[in-house]
Amino acid sequence: MLPSLSASDANKGPHLTGCRSSEQVTFRCWWSSGTFQNLSEPGALRIFYQTKALSSDWYECPDYTQTVKNECYFNKTFTRIWTSYCIQLRSVPQNTTYDEACFTVENIVYPDPPVGLNWTLLNVSRSGLHFDVLVRWTPPPSADVKTGWMSLVYQLQYRVKNNTYWEMQELESGTQQSIYGLHTDKEYEVRVRCKMSAFNNFGEFSDSVFLQVAQIPSKESTFPMALVLSFILIGVVILLIFIVISQQQRLMVIFLPPIPAPKIKGIDPELLKNGKLDQLDSLLSSHDMYKPDFYHEDPWVEFIQLDIDDPADKKNSDTQHLLGLSHSGSSHNLNLKNDDDSGRASCYDPEIPDPEDLASLLPNHSEQGEHQHSLVSRSSSANPDFQQESEVVETPIQTQPSWVNMDFYAQVSDFTPAGEVMLSPGQLNTSPEKKKKEEENEKKIQFQLVCDGAYTSETTARQFSADVPSSPGPEQEYQAFPTQGVEGNLWNGDYLVSVNDSQTPYLLLEPPPAPVLPPISDYTVAEPPSKSSFLAAYGLSAQPR
Amino acid sequence: MFVPYPLHVLINQAGNTCHSKHIPIPTSKSEIQQISDSWLLHSVLFLVQSWMEPLLYLQTTLDRYDDAPNALLSKTKWVSDKLLSLEQGVVVLIRKMLDEGIMASSTIFDHTQSPYDGQFPEVLESVIRDYHLLTCFKKDTHKMETFLKLLKCRQSNKLSCLPQ
Repeated sequence: MLPSLSASDANKGPHLTGCRSSEQVTFRCWWSSGTFQNLSEPGALRIFYQTKALSSDWYECPDYTQTVKNECYFNKTFTRIWTSYCIQLRSVPQNTTYDEACFTVENIVYPDPPVGLNWTLLNVSRSGLHFDVLVRWTPPPSADVKTGWMSLVYQLQYRVKNNTYWEMQELESGTQQSIYGLHTDKEYEVRVRCKMSAFNNFGEFSDSVFLQVAQIPSKESTFPMALVLSFILIGVVILLIFIVISQQQRLMVIFLPPIPAPKIKGIDPELLKNGKLDQLDSLLSSHDMYKPDFYHEDPWVEFIQLDIDDPADKKNSDTQHLLGLSHSGSSHNLNLKNDDDSGRASCYDPEIPDPEDLASLLPNHSEQGEHQHSLVSRSSSANPDFQQESEVVETPIQTQPSWVNMDFYAQVSDFTPAGEVMLSPGQLNTSPEKKKKEEENEKKIQFQLVCDGAYTSETTARQFSADVPSSPGPEQEYQAFPTQGVEGNLWNGDYLVSVNDSQTPYLLLEPPPAPVLPPISDYTVAEPPSKSSFLAAYGLSAQPR
Repeated sequence: MFVPYPLHVLINQAGNTCHSKHIPIPTSKSEIQQISDSWLLHSVLFLVQSWMEPLLYLQTTLDRYDDAPNALLSKTKWVSDKLLSLEQGVVVLIRKMLDEGIMASSTIFDHTQSPYDGQFPEVLESVIRDYHLLTCFKKDTHKMETFLKLLKCRQSNKLSCLPQ
């Protein structure tokens, strides 16, 4: 039976209201006469107990407490732990038993409350809003914890004063516990109770202790500090903006260095515009252009070649395409500002179209399929290639027509009906107007390529090489040569790789062995469909080695 | 199914038949505090050894229930293991404190301690029996704890542990 001390069952007849022990040495039992008023006088009801350990006899209560009504006290001689007791409430005259309860003493132990509750401040948070305390107490004096007769565990509870809800802490076997995170300027109430460690009967709560920590008024000082800091920060940001704006030009140079437009030292871009080719030729020829490093940077820039398979169709289509280039150029907004800054074409110019646009302008747009066309291409960077290839590749120059002995700067003058491109000077076959048109076209393409070459636009190269119609698939677009009988020479996007067995793959990035250059012009002709001439333009042999 | 609350009364009244009753153990504080170290240690050892087999039996019966909580089963197993360790510890204490050599043995008792061999009683009866067994076990472990705490007190400070 779990003893209870509630008086709520006063409607019943006489009954035992509970038995308790506080120190596991003695215990008491209480009863109530209930609604039987005639039995409320002392002595009307009596307690009898039985300990089955000793005998089956019932003995009367050894001690009826004088001071407390309806209490029976069993002192230490009558208390045996680990022993089962049965208590009966009897009315002797009528010889009736009104109530009975059985228990063992250790199961009715409700320890006294701890005493000596006090607290010490552990610390206060930096913001001054929270604090921690350490609460200490001593075990109840009645409980013999020193000899280990009773092992107690404690439970601490706290709440904000006048609050209804108590915060509970974990059970603690020691005699102190910390509370963390209390709020300053709030008053707290703390209390402790205990129970035997292996049992579930909590004793009464101790007297509450009140604690409070005054709030340190440091909060107000932090507020303006935050304001000051934010102002300083804003000021610094504004200052930075001013610096950036005022030194914009310089910063632009530092952080976004302009990629130099292709300029040739000693050559005035104006010369190009005026078309004084003779002077240009003299300048260029005297100028040492064959610096291998220069070419290695943008090797592929110079390479724009597209092969033409069908010479028959090419005749009109090429010319038209070239002419149409200018049309489509305008439609595609291809104005490279020839009038103003040709040669100084700024590659930051947003008007420069995408490589896709550029490719679409090419006469041999992939959609068109069969048509191929030739373009003027600069092969200045091809020279280093040729140097290496020269060992294994027969110098095709000797087999070439007169153009190999051309000057540095050759400009396309016209397309012959046969499809060949005529280069000026000295081969002017057309009207100046047409020549000028093609001149412009050439410049346009050239500058476009140059500009694109400033950025490693491999896609551009791909686009160009994609014009080879006979090559199916992207991978083979670089193998335009093989499809035309050139084996082992692959476009590899950035450099020309020869996979001939007898040759080692050539990487443009390697420095050429010796700058022995055949006298070819910087700007070579993109030969129309003639295989050998085309290959020869790049110093490659048409025959596999 | 487990014992509903009103049946606790029945169990308490039948709680006098714990099997460890035949050891005469003093039951008041003053008497206990007068027991010698040797007697305390031997009593603890005896209690520990007397509970090893019933706990094993309890594990098997608990397994048989359909809806026994897993916590109960695991705890019973855990307690069995701890009891073995406790026995070893007490043997060591006896050797060190009393200079006696004792073999740790867990089969002191005859097997008639578990009177339910061969039969499978019905569930309610079995549950009540198990509950009773656990109650007795709790009492005996409380005895072990009290004795060992007393011994510990005596080891640390003999004077303060004498009966007042």
